[in-house]
Amino acid sequence: MKRPCIILLVDDNPADVDLSREALLGNLHHIQVESVGDGEAALSFLNRTGVHTEKFRPDLVILDLNLPKKDGRAVLAEVKVDADLRTIPVVVFSTSRSMKDIERSYELGANCYVSKPGNLKDYLAAVQSIEQFWFGSASLPTKGQLN
Amino acid sequence: MTPADDLGAPPGQLRVLHVEDNALDAELVAQALRKGGFSASVVVVQTEAEFARELSSNCPDVVLADYNLPQWKGMEALEVLQRQALDIPLILVSGALGDVTAVECIKRGATDYVLKDGLARLPEAVRRALQEKHLLHLRRLAEGNLARKVEELARSNADLEQFAYVASHDLQEPLRMVAAYTQLLAERYQGRLDEDADKFIGYACEGASRMQALILDLLAFSRVGRCGAACGRVDCDAAMEEVLLNLGPAMQASGAVVTRAALPVVWADRSQMTQVFQNLIGNAIKFHGKEPPAISVQAEKAGEQWMFSVSDNGIGIAPEYAENIFVVFKRLHTRTEYPGNGIGLAVCKKIIEHCGGKIWVDAQLGHGSTFKFTLPAAAPEQEGCARS
Repeated sequence: MKRPCIILLVDDNPADVDLSREALLGNLHHIQVESVGDGEAALSFLNRTGVHTEKFRPDLVILDLNLPKKDGRAVLAEVKVDADLRTIPVVVFSTSRSMKDIERSYELGANCYVSKPGNLKDYLAAVQSIEQFWFGSASLPTKGQLN
Repeated sequence: MTPADDLGAPPGQLRVLHVEDNALDAELVAQALRKGGFSASVVVVQTEAEFARELSSNCPDVVLADYNLPQWKGMEALEVLQRQALDIPLILVSGALGDVTAVECIKRGATDYVLKDGLARLPEAVRRALQEKHLLHLRRLAEGNLARKVEELARSNADLEQFAYVASHDLQEPLRMVAAYTQLLAERYQGRLDEDADKFIGYACEGASRMQALILDLLAFSRVGRCGAACGRVDCDAAMEEVLLNLGPAMQASGAVVTRAALPVVWADRSQMTQVFQNLIGNAIKFHGKEPPAISVQAEKAGEQWMFSVSDNGIGIAPEYAENIFVVFKRLHTRTEYPGNGIGLAVCKKIIEHCGGKIWVDAQLGHGSTFKFTLPAAAPEQEGCARS
């Protein structure tokens, strides 16, 4: 049986993680949602080190920018220069609407930048549309399916 | 306090540094000063080295200098003073010089020129020189104070804008949580608690989204003036076309008619100008009376400026609120009467003032309003937004 698609949420705000989980509730038969609260934990998860050795490589990373320890920009930069990890799509998902943050994220290799909407309906719709696009419309590299 | 600051009669001890090689002339000059009512201590020097030494050891109130000396020239003494940025007046005391030379010396910075044949005029020349120096001193003080005030003001303005910007950004994050989770509560528990609970959650949702709108408005308000580099020639006719297009639906819904004269080209920021017209015309539509809104936009040249007016036949404004309405978040009506956050006119005022103009309103309650503002006419040679 095919394993579910894995989304890694990187966000230090549990309230936002819960909202994103809320948005994905209807899709849990084919996706698995994992979450970590800071940049170092995200890299450890992706590299399957420390407490994350048993984890699977995620198929999509939804990354907040302002994180404790290593921030989202640093995580993005490291993932996108890593020969193995760079093929994982990273969607930056941040409250910031500043052009500086948006441009910098794409420069670092973000696959997409989505600003967190201010109200519930739009927030849920944004997360659902990310899920639908990456696991519905888009074709992903098979690398993740093999392990 | 130096004697130079002590202006009126009787003069105190006057310290004079006299550049002169002729002992008799030096004595005549000292006499002339005494006769003129000065109690003066005069030091006579002949060379540049002596002059420099005296200058530093015994700061004089006034320098008198012969134009021609065997080893030196009186005007070189002036250059020494200027190099050291000393505000000590120098009066040439010399034999006949000729008008051209005399004028040239004054142009280069000598305070006055007194002929040795006419030393009776010397005390008056010295008195005037000291007075000028005193006035210059006062002016410098005033200029210094003014420059400091301007700098302080600029800094506190920048601080305030930075504060509004950061506060808005940082406030948004926790507020987004409040808004999202009260909305989630509303969605999930609507009708499952009791009527009061539904009402309370409704209030919380409404308050949170209103706060979000306020913060976005505050952010927009703090951004005005941060884009000064975007200033240029703005064709107000084109800006107005854009505004009418944007307001199309609101105009149709209310039956509004906008008449306008040909509008000029002004020096401003294009998108901000559009915003000004849009806020004013949008208000004219929003605050309409019983009749459909009839709005008139005019502009007339007044010297180097254009004066615009936007008049309507709406509900008008009581004169006592004519200034208040330009204050940020100031509203004259409840939200149920008229929606909005009270930011529109504050933004207009900030934009207009950043461009060097003024905005005000002529209105009576129940008799329509006329908003007026001035803007500098566009000069083709202007390159930056010199007025921001």
